[in-house]
Amino acid sequence: MDANQILGVAANAGDEEIRAAYLSKVKEFPPDRAPAEFEKIRDAYEAMRDPRRRARAMFSAGESGAPLGSLIEGRGVPRIFAGPQPWREVLKNK
Amino acid sequence: MSLGVSPQSSGIATNIRQLIIDGKSKTALDNAKEFHKKQGSAESEILLIDAYLARIRALSDQNLVVEAKSLIALVRERFPSAKERLDNLNSAAAARGGDLDELLKPLNDPGLSAERRAAIEQVIQNQVTDLAALACCAALPPDHGLRQAAAAIDLAFGAVTSGPVTDQQIALPEVSHRSPLANWKLLIRAIACFYRNQDNACEDCLAAIRPESAPWRLVPAMRAMLEATPGAKLAAKPAVDLKPAEAALKSSTSGSLGELQRALADLDQAFAHAEQPAQVFKAVRAAVRECRQSAPDLLAELRRMVCIRGEVACLDTQRMIVALDGAPRRDAIFFRDLARALERTGDSEDLMRACECWDCFRQEAVREGWFAERGLEVAALYLHMAGLLGRMPAVLLREMQRTFGRAVPRESNYFYFPEELYARACLIDRHPDAFSQWLRWARGNSMVEAENVARAWSKALPDAVEPLLFLMEESEKRNAFPSALSYLNKAEQIDAVNSTVRAARLRLLAAAALQQLQKKKPNLAAQRLAEIGALPQSRQGDRPAFLDTLRCLICLVSGDQPGASQALLEVERVLGDGLAALIFISGCAASAKRKELVFLPLPGTLSEQQRSHLPASMARAIALAADIGLTRNFRLPIEYFDETEAQFPRISGSLKVEQIRLLGELGIVSEHPGLAWAASAAGLDRGGPTEAHFLLLRARALPEGLDDRYQALTAAAAELGRTQRDMEVVSRAVEAGRDFLDEDPLSLTADQAREVLRKEKASPDFPSRSSAGPDYSDLFLDDLCMCPACCAERGQSSDPDLDDIFDPGVPELDEDEMKRSFFEKAPKDIPREILPALFEVAKESFFSGEDPAEILSQIFLEAAPARKNAPGRKKKKGRRG
Repeated sequence: MDANQILGVAANAGDEEIRAAYLSKVKEFPPDRAPAEFEKIRDAYEAMRDPRRRARAMFSAGESGAPLGSLIEGRGVPRIFAGPQPWREVLKNK
Repeated sequence: MSLGVSPQSSGIATNIRQLIIDGKSKTALDNAKEFHKKQGSAESEILLIDAYLARIRALSDQNLVVEAKSLIALVRERFPSAKERLDNLNSAAAARGGDLDELLKPLNDPGLSAERRAAIEQVIQNQVTDLAALACCAALPPDHGLRQAAAAIDLAFGAVTSGPVTDQQIALPEVSHRSPLANWKLLIRAIACFYRNQDNACEDCLAAIRPESAPWRLVPAMRAMLEATPGAKLAAKPAVDLKPAEAALKSSTSGSLGELQRALADLDQAFAHAEQPAQVFKAVRAAVRECRQSAPDLLAELRRMVCIRGEVACLDTQRMIVALDGAPRRDAIFFRDLARALERTGDSEDLMRACECWDCFRQEAVREGWFAERGLEVAALYLHMAGLLGRMPAVLLREMQRTFGRAVPRESNYFYFPEELYARACLIDRHPDAFSQWLRWARGNSMVEAENVARAWSKALPDAVEPLLFLMEESEKRNAFPSALSYLNKAEQIDAVNSTVRAARLRLLAAAALQQLQKKKPNLAAQRLAEIGALPQSRQGDRPAFLDTLRCLICLVSGDQPGASQALLEVERVLGDGLAALIFISGCAASAKRKELVFLPLPGTLSEQQRSHLPASMARAIALAADIGLTRNFRLPIEYFDETEAQFPRISGSLKVEQIRLLGELGIVSEHPGLAWAASAAGLDRGGPTEAHFLLLRARALPEGLDDRYQALTAAAAELGRTQRDMEVVSRAVEAGRDFLDEDPLSLTADQAREVLRKEKASPDFPSRSSAGPDYSDLFLDDLCMCPACCAERGQSSDPDLDDIFDPGVPELDEDEMKRSFFEKAPKDIPREILPALFEVAKESFFSGEDPAEILSQIFLEAAPARKNAPGRKKKKGRRG
């Protein structure tokens, strides 16, 4: 997994965004409770902090030549806007 | 009568309360009536009222509002003490029936008690679901906060369930977190997150909704709807039975991706046959239509991906935009993805197009704020682009630079010129890596250019030792020793402990001294000798023998025979081997191009003992030459190598491993593969940590044509080197494997490497036609040819789809190679602009079965030379010479 994917930021994320994502991930996976995850997160942060490595990650992100079907891989059932009525019907019944 | 004293009565009362808690209000009321009839106490009356209230709530929950109100009136009449509790219930029942006036009217009373207000607000929170009615309730003034909050929520609810909303649309500043309608705000956020596919955030909002509140009625249904999405927090929870309205909601908000999946697969298939553009455009239209219907949020991404594939396949852009029903945004992401897609084809022209796209990416990314115009990212991008151009054959690159860049000035198409890209990168980011890449590229281009790059590097980073060492080595290669020494002086000032720097001074001074001898200037050579003698490192190991050798040669050049004899004796004394001393002095004289100064007898004239000792003497002399760094012109008569090879097997047991290694290397450089082979056999016999080295030596000594064995040996050497932590061998073995194929070399497991080692130890003889050595075909099973003929030969059935690919009637075309050859062979008088068109003609002729050499001769009106490997046909993979 790429460093930006581990931190959950876009390849073009700025310094502040990367730092915020890192801190949020560290809160989620603190070193004492999830050392392996934390290690990955720290490595990813180190990679993203280095502008040269970050740039290389930026250039290699995106289009991977995978089949177009990959566009909808991992997506659940599409969600349809059905208007307020069916929602209100549920609210009426306790 | 007292209720509390009788255990039986106490048990009945407890039973009634339990029935109330369990929601069995009807039974509880019947029992309470019976109980109160028998007891008639104050306690039994309280219990009866509680049972009535539970029953009223139950009726109200079942929307039996009329029945609930009748019961309220009845209880009010019979039990005046329950008035206040009944008022609350009455309001709630009315509210539930849609009559909010009665519930809300008391809120206009300034003297309303806090308890009563709280009770009313609780009813609003828990019972009111018709927000439109609340927003229009005449019992409150129009500007009342509750009415305004209800109106805002109703509007947001309608919006969030009907289409995508912005955060602003659902901000609801009118609803404070203390409002009885605060849970609605959470519900609306949950619905927005649901439609944005932010399932975890959706669940967080749902979890914050109070379970007794009216909006919570949607929570079970929404959780069931979230379960359909992989990765949601609730995905693992068991499904709950949904009520009809909830099931209807789930069904009406759920679509299907099956059709889109099929449309995308069809489109992939169509792109695989892009020679039929009409089919592609038809599939594009179908996919866009389906995407718009079932996943409209993906439409922009789909447009981008499809448009990029169309560009790579050189499909008509305008037709593609029409088929896509709109052009994708030509932003930084678009250009990045297009550049990446072009890079992947590996085609030379596409690599140049990729560079152009990367330049567009740079401009857009700067505009969109990804990075600064002269940021380090831009430098990294320039290096990346230069690396892409470096993947192209140099001749073709120059040709295409002329073709692509003719019409526009260099400044506008700088991205076709690696030197321009490297220079720009290094200007922005003066980093050693950037200069190092530039230098590596320049070295492959021209040494003059490389030296200019090294000078630029040294100027930009005065503390960098690498460019100085490069300049020093280049000067040394040109025998410009004063320049080399001046670069060394600078390098020593920067990093005196650098191993290359430390080894250089002795080597350079030695070479400079030998050069003076070549120029017949013994006095200047003596000066250099004095400088060498002053170096502490010249007194280590056998090195004093080199000083005496120099002294000997200086004496010989000066005509001082006694001095020379004295020095020779010293050399013999230090080395402890008269023959080794003579060999070393002879080699040094050859380095100074003064072979005539020393007479080295032919091996045939040596005594039997000297001949049998020759491998050890050679090893000793060559080890000293290697230690000093005199490897370039250290020449010895070929007869000495022949004799060493002949004597080696007999005395190899008495040599040290290091001597065997040296003799092996000697065998390689002197083109005596038999000697190298014998050394590898002796080395492998010794076992231990040098086995990887001797496997690699054996690979290098292999005769041409034994490709499988060569690959197996280099791969095994690399793996054993890893195990033995000999990284130098690993790196050399990997390089040797790569050189062989120009691609990733074979890799073996540790067990496979040990098996190769075992087989090699069991095969000490030099390969011959009758005995090629061990069979390693089992290591190449993945590479088995799958053509029908080979499959049939192996007794396997082939895939019928492969028959077309392996049709022997269809020639195999390496377009890049053919193009390169074509441009190289084109006579200078043919205008360059028409070459691409001529090339297309040549390609078509090739496919129609004509010989490529003949095609070229016909086109260029030259006689076609008979060649073994015609251009355009892939050569059989083979080891470099």
